[in-house]
Amino acid sequence: MSTSSTTDAPPVIHRLRKPVIDRLLTVWGVLVLVFLFAPIIVIVIYSFNTGRLLSSFEAFGLDSFAALFSKHVLSDAVMVSLRTGFIAALLATLLGTLAGIALARRPGRWAAWFMGLLILVSVTPEIVDAISLLPWLVFLGQDLGLSMFNDGTVRLVIGHSLFSVAVVSYIVRARLVGLPANLEEASADLYASPLRTFRRVTLPLAMPAVLAGLLLSFTFSLDNTIVSSFVQVSGSTPWPVYVLSALRGGLRPEIAAVSTVMLLITLAALAVVALVLRRAGDSSAQIARTMAGG
Amino acid sequence: MRRLRLPGLALALPAWVWLAVFFIAPVAVVFWYSFGYKPGLFGTHATDRLSFDRYLEVLTPTFFDTFVATMNIALTGTALCFLIGAPMAYWMAVKAPPSWRGLLLALVLVPFWTNFLVRTIGWQVILSPEGWLSQAAQTLGLPAFDILYTRGAVLLGVVYNYLPLMILPLYVAFDRVGEPLREASRDLGAGRFRTLWRVTLPLARPGIVVGVLLVYIPLMGDYITATVLGGAKGNMVGQLVAAQFQTAQNWALGSAMAITLIVIIVLSAAAVGAALWLVSWPLRRSYRVRLDSGVTQ
Repeated sequence: MSTSSTTDAPPVIHRLRKPVIDRLLTVWGVLVLVFLFAPIIVIVIYSFNTGRLLSSFEAFGLDSFAALFSKHVLSDAVMVSLRTGFIAALLATLLGTLAGIALARRPGRWAAWFMGLLILVSVTPEIVDAISLLPWLVFLGQDLGLSMFNDGTVRLVIGHSLFSVAVVSYIVRARLVGLPANLEEASADLYASPLRTFRRVTLPLAMPAVLAGLLLSFTFSLDNTIVSSFVQVSGSTPWPVYVLSALRGGLRPEIAAVSTVMLLITLAALAVVALVLRRAGDSSAQIARTMAGG
Repeated sequence: MRRLRLPGLALALPAWVWLAVFFIAPVAVVFWYSFGYKPGLFGTHATDRLSFDRYLEVLTPTFFDTFVATMNIALTGTALCFLIGAPMAYWMAVKAPPSWRGLLLALVLVPFWTNFLVRTIGWQVILSPEGWLSQAAQTLGLPAFDILYTRGAVLLGVVYNYLPLMILPLYVAFDRVGEPLREASRDLGAGRFRTLWRVTLPLARPGIVVGVLLVYIPLMGDYITATVLGGAKGNMVGQLVAAQFQTAQNWALGSAMAITLIVIIVLSAAAVGAALWLVSWPLRRSYRVRLDSGVTQ
């Protein structure tokens, strides 16, 4: 079947009755996009509110951004989030990459069980992770006396890593499954040791997925609210938990300002992910699948 | 000659151990605590006497009513997400010019990646009686907004928050069907609706199931949306569970609630899956094309 003959003919025929429904679909699509962006745009606009309360706009100004630097609770919360995100992303990427490579290249009977576990981890509602981690960390830290589990950063990193490990494993596995293993076989035939093959062939092949997983894990961690609000200890409050607690006492424009800043950081990380995947030759549907967490 | 190979299990072992210690063990402990009780005012849990009493406590009218309300919101919300998301995904994958697709996907991903809580607060600002939308309505002679802290606001919030989770798998599913198959269907004389009904939808079915479950499962456990937009009226099961751990300090009862919630989610997700399977029965009867049988490859 030649593609030119099929692309030439139909559009002419379909133009005749296409417009009504297709135009409605386009209108629908644009409306949905407006709906999706409405609250985000509102938050960005209201971050320039100089009033005392977030929801009543008084005048346009940068006061709330200045408050990010003058209010230490707020800047501390952002720093806690960035530090946790960095550590959690590295950890999840390390564990997830190894697991993903194993799933793609050395699947055994264990692989089905392991995939089952990963799916279970990723579909478990966050509230369940949160309420089960809290007693467990208290048990490890206080009943068993392992004092590292009383540390705020350790607790947050553990809580944030679970979902990310699953996501990184999926992404790395999906990438390697799509690439035949013959390069690795060639490397082994040329007497490279397994470790050398791993380092020089497998890992570079998986690299775009590893980088994407790293950045995705970082943004997952920045966004994590529910688990964080359970496992955090005072003194290491990440920014979404700070926002959650501010909710009870009336929201101020600084909340919108810190949200805008975090949004920019997240978008920058995601733009890099998309760029990495695009350069690795993924289609936009593949990128969507990867960025939606597998 | 046997090559020295690292067994797969060894590579995956760190992740295994990590998830076993920080996912399986904690859930197992919660399961165990759910049979315990709260000893006195300052204890959170005790397990020297085990019983099903906490589960009986869970089944009191308060929890049951909240559970029914949660289920109600979750089912309505999932249905609305599908009704809004399916035409959107179809438009993105099929009707929109191919050169727009990357941009459209990026636009859907931005809200997905914006913090959940922040997006919900955005709606609180929009819906608040002092907000600009309400004031605009008032200058037009309409009454001030009275939506915030109602069930409608919670529904709006959850539909908004989970819509991208519906659109993305549906987009992938519609995109997977591909233009050549639809063209073939039209070349064979099928009209637009026949093509949609007999080719596109049957092939997109797995994506539809994934989208519905991706929305429904987290929606059942969500309570942030309800806290921000529903106030006291928007009670969801997640809120009750969280309160047992964060304020009431009754871990035994909270654990029993959480286990009940997990069981309910698993059962109802299975029921939703079965319902979808039944609904798609007429679709399956017209299932003629299989992507894996070499039709497109």
